[in-house]
Amino acid sequence: MRKSLILTEHITISSTILIVLLGIVLVSFSLIKDIFINPHRYFSTVLSLEEIQFFVVYTSLIIICVLISFIIYLLLTLRTRAQLMVLNATESLDVSREQFVKIYDGAPVPYVTLDDKGEIRNPNKAALRFFGEVLKEIEGKNLFSYQPKEDLDKTERLFQYYKSKVPINREEMRMITKDGSVKWVLLSVFEMEAFGGSRRTGLATIFDITEQKQLDQAKTEFVSLASHQLKTPVAAIKWYIDMLLSHNLGELSSKQEDYLNIVYKVNEEMIDLIDVLLNVSRVEIGSIKAESKLTNVIEITESVLVELSSQIEEKKLSIDKQYKDNLKNIRSDPKLLRIVIQNLMSNAVKYTPTDGVVTISFKDSFTDKSIIVSDTGIGIPKSEQDKIFTKMFRAGNVHDLKGVQGTGLGLYLVKSIVETMGGSISFISEENKGSIFTIKL
Amino acid sequence: MEKVDKKNVLVIDDDDNLRTVLIDKLNMSGFYAVGASNGEEGLKKALKTHPDVILLDIIMPILNGWEMLKELRKDEWGKGAKVIMLTVIENTEAIARAVEDDSLAYLIKTNESMDDVVEKVKMMLRNN
Repeated sequence: MRKSLILTEHITISSTILIVLLGIVLVSFSLIKDIFINPHRYFSTVLSLEEIQFFVVYTSLIIICVLISFIIYLLLTLRTRAQLMVLNATESLDVSREQFVKIYDGAPVPYVTLDDKGEIRNPNKAALRFFGEVLKEIEGKNLFSYQPKEDLDKTERLFQYYKSKVPINREEMRMITKDGSVKWVLLSVFEMEAFGGSRRTGLATIFDITEQKQLDQAKTEFVSLASHQLKTPVAAIKWYIDMLLSHNLGELSSKQEDYLNIVYKVNEEMIDLIDVLLNVSRVEIGSIKAESKLTNVIEITESVLVELSSQIEEKKLSIDKQYKDNLKNIRSDPKLLRIVIQNLMSNAVKYTPTDGVVTISFKDSFTDKSIIVSDTGIGIPKSEQDKIFTKMFRAGNVHDLKGVQGTGLGLYLVKSIVETMGGSISFISEENKGSIFTIKL
Repeated sequence: MEKVDKKNVLVIDDDDNLRTVLIDKLNMSGFYAVGASNGEEGLKKALKTHPDVILLDIIMPILNGWEMLKELRKDEWGKGAKVIMLTVIENTEAIARAVEDDSLAYLIKTNESMDDVVEKVKMMLRNN
């Protein structure tokens, strides 16, 4: 097509040049003929009026010939040039389409388009590989029919989303492939109506996350196994000392009892440390998922205070409890919230000197609920305040305190958990005056 | 050693140290306690002796705690057998199942003292 158009153009240009040449030759021929017949006209020194007229006429004729040829050339090649432009545009469109098809078809992520009923059209190669089916088998099947029966509620909800044109964005779900294996995917479906065409089309991407899920499962199992292996021996130590201290096996001397109490206390610290380390591991591998259920914040706070009662009594601390009744029924994750409150209260008690005050209060506004733990403790030096949520960090002023143990993991854990729960943490602190920590749920 | 008036407790835990101390404590507290070191052995003993309370560890070889419980609940007597699951971490599954099942409780080994364990066994026996 392109060759024939170019040939036509060449012929047109050549004919035009021929016409021009022919015109010039004809004019020149008349001129030469006239020179031979009337040589005196051309070789006299002074030109007569007739001679001048003669030259003007001939020159004009040559110019008119050239102009006519040029116009003929333009008229003749107009169509050819327009056709060439269309041809070029069509060719680049074809290249784009070809590239798009190559990208769509060869993409490693499974893509399918969906009609208004959710039925599959145009699966790419990755989609065929993912489902383990050939084109004939997959085309026309409903995308929302590949889910296991147990996930029916979720499937139905997503199908309703699709029918109502609500975008589906990275929804985690399971799909069953031809060989019966269950795969975890992130499904996204976007409307393509805006790109033209009267029929409704959805573009679905099916991102296979089965391997990630298996890896997550393996990591969770590892932490669970590590918990078991680390905590079983400390549980045994705890119970054996418990037996000795209960005097069930005979009386102990006061020195023996003192020593056993120390071993018991150290073992309890070890249990706490293992708990913190395991919680940090869970947060870091992302196996902690916040649940939302009815939570009694007052009950949690009271149980934490019971745990801390011996330290509170020992330091003669006053606990100011500013409870509100509506905190008995908030939606949160009780287990995670307990870790948060336990860490903040424990820090407040640990870093507040004798006769100090620890306050726990709650704020309930229209937009959010807050838990505030404040103390009259040693505070955090200004220069170190930006580091307090980093792992293994302990402020410089805690090292002078006698008998105060810490891992530097508590606030890191608190921040991570609060963020997992969708909340935030902030604080105000002044050295030797105290700190106020606020958790927004 | 077995007495008719004593309540029987079966302690199923693969950790020898924990099993021994639990049996000792329970025997000293007026129970008749025996042990099993895995779920399979525990299931056989439970179905044979019908203990009043079973203390059941979760992570064990051969048959783990949940698998053993599943088998136990298939038995006519085992359906209502009182079981306290022993865990080392706060186990959401254990808590959820204990809430649904009146004959099931759980305790976290590192959080409870020996007296707490005995108290929990007594509490299960009171819930007749």
